[in-house]
Amino acid sequence: MTERSYLGEFELMILLAVVRLGDEAYGVPISRELERHRGRTVSVGSVYAALERMEAKSLVASTLGDPTPERGGKAKRYFTVTKAGLRQVHETRRVLSKLWRTLPELKGENP
Amino acid sequence: MKQSSPPPLATWMLGEWNEALAGDLHEEFRAGRSAVWYWRQVLSALLIRGARALRIRRAALLFAALWSMLVPGWLFMVAGIERSLHFNEHLSRMTWPWSTVCDLGLMLAASLLFLWAGILLYLFADLWHPDHFRLRELGGGIAASLPAVLVLWLALIVLPKHFVAVQAAAESSTARTPTPLEAFRMEQRRMVWAAHEGPALAHARLDDSKNRAIADTSPRQAVTDMHVPAVLVRLPFFLVLLCTLRSAEPRSRRCPS
Repeated sequence: MTERSYLGEFELMILLAVVRLGDEAYGVPISRELERHRGRTVSVGSVYAALERMEAKSLVASTLGDPTPERGGKAKRYFTVTKAGLRQVHETRRVLSKLWRTLPELKGENP
Repeated sequence: MKQSSPPPLATWMLGEWNEALAGDLHEEFRAGRSAVWYWRQVLSALLIRGARALRIRRAALLFAALWSMLVPGWLFMVAGIERSLHFNEHLSRMTWPWSTVCDLGLMLAASLLFLWAGILLYLFADLWHPDHFRLRELGGGIAASLPAVLVLWLALIVLPKHFVAVQAAAESSTARTPTPLEAFRMEQRRMVWAAHEGPALAHARLDDSKNRAIADTSPRQAVTDMHVPAVLVRLPFFLVLLCTLRSAEPRSRRCPS
């Protein structure tokens, strides 16, 4: 039997940010993207922890860029979503949408 | 005026374990983030990393906690062997510094034996799997335990001394004969004193009636003793085991931190 695990809220947000950023998906823009949409500060360390967890599950892949002086001589680590990662995103979206559709209208809870 | 480079202490604390994260924080600081933001990010990253390391090493953590619980029992056995071999009498006949060297040497050997037995037991399952087990890794763990034991001795000498002296002063004011467990705790304190001041002065602090009562203590009482001296004696063993188990573990069982 294959084990099916769904993405957590934070992991899903990170994967969507990585997809949206494309070739420019590294720690800083991913964190900024999350901050913009969530409306609060994001810990860059927690973003990396989640990305490393997803990399261990082969949902994302990473490559190191060249070191630059504005980063104190440190390299950027670019992330891309793998096919397995995209499948997980679609699967999580499908399940969440299905769950939302089964809910009655939530009065007084306008987004 | 804003600093041009991030707080050096925070950067040093972050270290080199995640180059990309360090670069990201540097870049954000240069882009206008505050020093407070930088500090908060570094501390949060360190906390996340620490929690992850603990989660990954929970087996080693549990084993180190259980094995170090046995330390007072082990010291109890060593004290029993010392008594049966009349070791203290031999020591008292020796001249300084040999008396101190022999007493410290015995305690150091007993501690190393206990730690190495723990490492071997922890790796017991791997010993029968040549694919998993590497002699070099076991050697690494044993080698790592040597400097760790030196730290242990510093901790045994410096940390417990204050607590031990305070408790002993309180107990010496009571004239009654100690219970076997109380007498055993005194024996533990004697070992701490012996490490600090040499065996002669340590023995002088306890009278013979108290030392004789130790013989009636059971090893189970020693192992379940949770009073301050017993906990202090366990603590350095626990820390040393936690550090050395990682060095001795086969690479296949180590996870990236």
